[in-house]
Amino acid sequence: MIAAAVLLAVFVAIPLRSRGYLLQLGTDTLSAVTLAYGWNLIGGFAGYFSFGQVSFYGLGAYATALLVLRAHMPWYFAALVSGLVGAAAALLLGRIMLRLRGILFALGMLGLARILEVIFNNWHYAGASVGLSLPAVLTPVAVYVGMGLLALISFCITAYFVYSGFGLDVMSLNEDEDAALSVGVPTTRVKVIAFILSGALPAVAGGLTAWNHSYIDPTSAFDPGVDLLTVVYVMFGGIGTLWGPLIGAVVLMIVGEEFLVYFPNLELALYGIVVIATVLAFPGGLVGLANRFGWLMRPIILAPKGLPAGAPPERAPAHGTQPVLEVRDLTVRFGGLTAVDRVSLSVARGETVCIIGANGAGKTTFFNAITGVVQPTSGEILYFGQPISHLPTFRRAQRGMARSFQIPRLMPSFTVWENVLLASRHGRQSHRVVEHTAWVLHTMGFAGMWRDPVSRLTPGFQRQLEFARVLALSPELVMLDEVMAGMTREEQEQVRGVIRRLPEFGIAGVACVEHVIAAVADLCDRMVVLDFGRKIAEGPSAEVLKDPVVVRAYLGEPI
Amino acid sequence: MLALQILVNGLLLGGLYVLIAQSLNLIFGVMGVVNLAHGAFIVVAGLFTYWFASSTGINPLAALPFVFIVMALVGAGLQPLLVEPLMKMGRSKAELLSLMVTFGLDYVLVELALQVWGSSFVSVPYLQSSWKFAGLDFSQALVVSGVFAALVSALLYWWLNRTDSGKSLLAASQSETGAICCGIDVKRVRMLAFALGVALAAAAGVLVIIVEALAPQTADDLTLLAFVIIALGGLGSYVGVAVAALLLGVAQSVTGYFVGGNAEYVLPYVLLILVMVALPGRFRRA
Repeated sequence: MIAAAVLLAVFVAIPLRSRGYLLQLGTDTLSAVTLAYGWNLIGGFAGYFSFGQVSFYGLGAYATALLVLRAHMPWYFAALVSGLVGAAAALLLGRIMLRLRGILFALGMLGLARILEVIFNNWHYAGASVGLSLPAVLTPVAVYVGMGLLALISFCITAYFVYSGFGLDVMSLNEDEDAALSVGVPTTRVKVIAFILSGALPAVAGGLTAWNHSYIDPTSAFDPGVDLLTVVYVMFGGIGTLWGPLIGAVVLMIVGEEFLVYFPNLELALYGIVVIATVLAFPGGLVGLANRFGWLMRPIILAPKGLPAGAPPERAPAHGTQPVLEVRDLTVRFGGLTAVDRVSLSVARGETVCIIGANGAGKTTFFNAITGVVQPTSGEILYFGQPISHLPTFRRAQRGMARSFQIPRLMPSFTVWENVLLASRHGRQSHRVVEHTAWVLHTMGFAGMWRDPVSRLTPGFQRQLEFARVLALSPELVMLDEVMAGMTREEQEQVRGVIRRLPEFGIAGVACVEHVIAAVADLCDRMVVLDFGRKIAEGPSAEVLKDPVVVRAYLGEPI
Repeated sequence: MLALQILVNGLLLGGLYVLIAQSLNLIFGVMGVVNLAHGAFIVVAGLFTYWFASSTGINPLAALPFVFIVMALVGAGLQPLLVEPLMKMGRSKAELLSLMVTFGLDYVLVELALQVWGSSFVSVPYLQSSWKFAGLDFSQALVVSGVFAALVSALLYWWLNRTDSGKSLLAASQSETGAICCGIDVKRVRMLAFALGVALAAAAGVLVIIVEALAPQTADDLTLLAFVIIALGGLGSYVGVAVAALLLGVAQSVTGYFVGGNAEYVLPYVLLILVMVALPGRFRRA
């Protein structure tokens, strides 16, 4: 830390003393650092690669120029207001653009920058293609200081992402967005917030740069080359890390400045090669290389020094006498296929209901409709007597409806602690996150490996961890999708033990889909059999398993 | 009559777009990779053709077979070097990282093209006049390139659906595991798809330069144009993409006539954003 402070002081002091060329280089470097940090928030942490963040840089530059010229605002104030303009633009665009994932988002942003360039090329109030000239008042030192403060703010925001629970929410988007929804992360809100921050920072940088250069035109304001450089800095330094953007931008700016003298026209080509080489040879960038030696590691978020004992959740007051879950005539159609056909199901308090049926009978779709992953075509879902069909998945999870997936969907690069913590943050014990997380980890037998990365767990433990994540929500209804599949006898026994203990943990009802009937027959109070989307039988397991209809449709007749 | 003329021009332009988009679609379909250097390959081939035709005086179309073969080899060389290593990382990660890699490649190619040919717009003075037929003007350059492009696309479609090698490519695009189980060498198929995609992009470049002026910096516009078409037509769908390309050609020709050149230029991007807003489900791949 001290070394970093000294280094920072040197970097601040040298350009200030020397003025001229070094001051300009210093300002440009700080601008690059800001752009890199801004991109990293949405591209690195949330995993939404944007090839159009330059849009915000350009909008900020124009906003500042117009505010200075037309509203006679002082430049520093104008630059700050531009930050708000960038944030507002990101809020509006984010709600549209962030519906898209992966390449679509990346290319949509690239297209957006193009649209803005054409708009500004034709907007006479903003100088059209000639651009705007600002009064040539030289304030290089003040701009340098302003850019320095901005870079510092970018660093602090990133530090908040790396150390806080909110940061964990953002990173969960990059890991598995659907799983994040299922544990109650309000994904849209989280990514829009990250996008707003990632739009505001380049907007201010663009504003300061416009003032510094006393000139702005559409070509330089929306130059796709700026995006390339930003991406290069982040990738080279280390994507999704606290130090990567800083290291990448500073190193490449200095190297570029020394090196490019010899290749004046090939700058972007060389940076292109740097991106390619980084992605292929060391995808974690410089920070990734440092991580191999245990340096600059990301801290485990909100992790205490040692695992505290934790305490079981206080019993919440019961919700009246309504059944936990009541599904009435639920139908799900995909085009011409009716996957679930007017199925009704109720789970009373203290009841465990098991849904069985052949592959393709519609069991998982039924679950998906109840948790809100799939929109039902018709039918009603009541949770403690309240209709919940209008609620998004994450709200259902927050209210205590927890599910596991057929194939465990953990956050692969998180630690055990973080996986459980993420769910605890959004569940019904969110007021005592650390204690509750610790209790879940103890209860589920993870005390000895709570700091381990998930990738190091055996498949059995991964399943168990998903179960732990379900408990972390402190749910009232637990929905298990084939938890026993592929487990050894011992592992099944372990899971059966946990299912038996569920009432202790305040869980009012359990619904499970299962193929390993022997492992659940004695656990469940009732069995429901689905066949081609229809309910063909229901009742106590001993009766259902003997029902000739069920035997014919699913179990098979003895030969 | 005017309406018909605009329609004809649009369809001819659309024929060219079919090739521009189909070549990107081929790579995307098989590998889930959007090749951001797509436009750069088009531009490089186009500018090479310009250089070839203007310095030798030979018919620019004569460059087509040569450009096609050379660029196929370039594609076959680049794919194992740049894209194949990413395929091990799982589909969604490979998609994003290949975007990064081809983004870098795009800049390398564009900067090199700027070094060789400079930044001014050039076009090949070839087939400048037009044919008159049934009261309509058919720009010769547009007819030749539009028809040529449509033919090459049709050939591609035939190859994909009627030949063993084409079918194995389609198979690999639908299910990699399934294709492996049928004894298809998926690695080789991916290389073939990339090489063919690059070569077809280059062929499109030769045809584009006959119709309109190109400069290295237009590369990204071409990439986006191609992407917009495949997004509108349905990712990975060959018939949908062909229809979308023709429609976009007509739409551009209509806006270009009634609104102006700027509107014609931004139309694809506006359409892309509109479709994103109105039909977000269109972009979801299972």
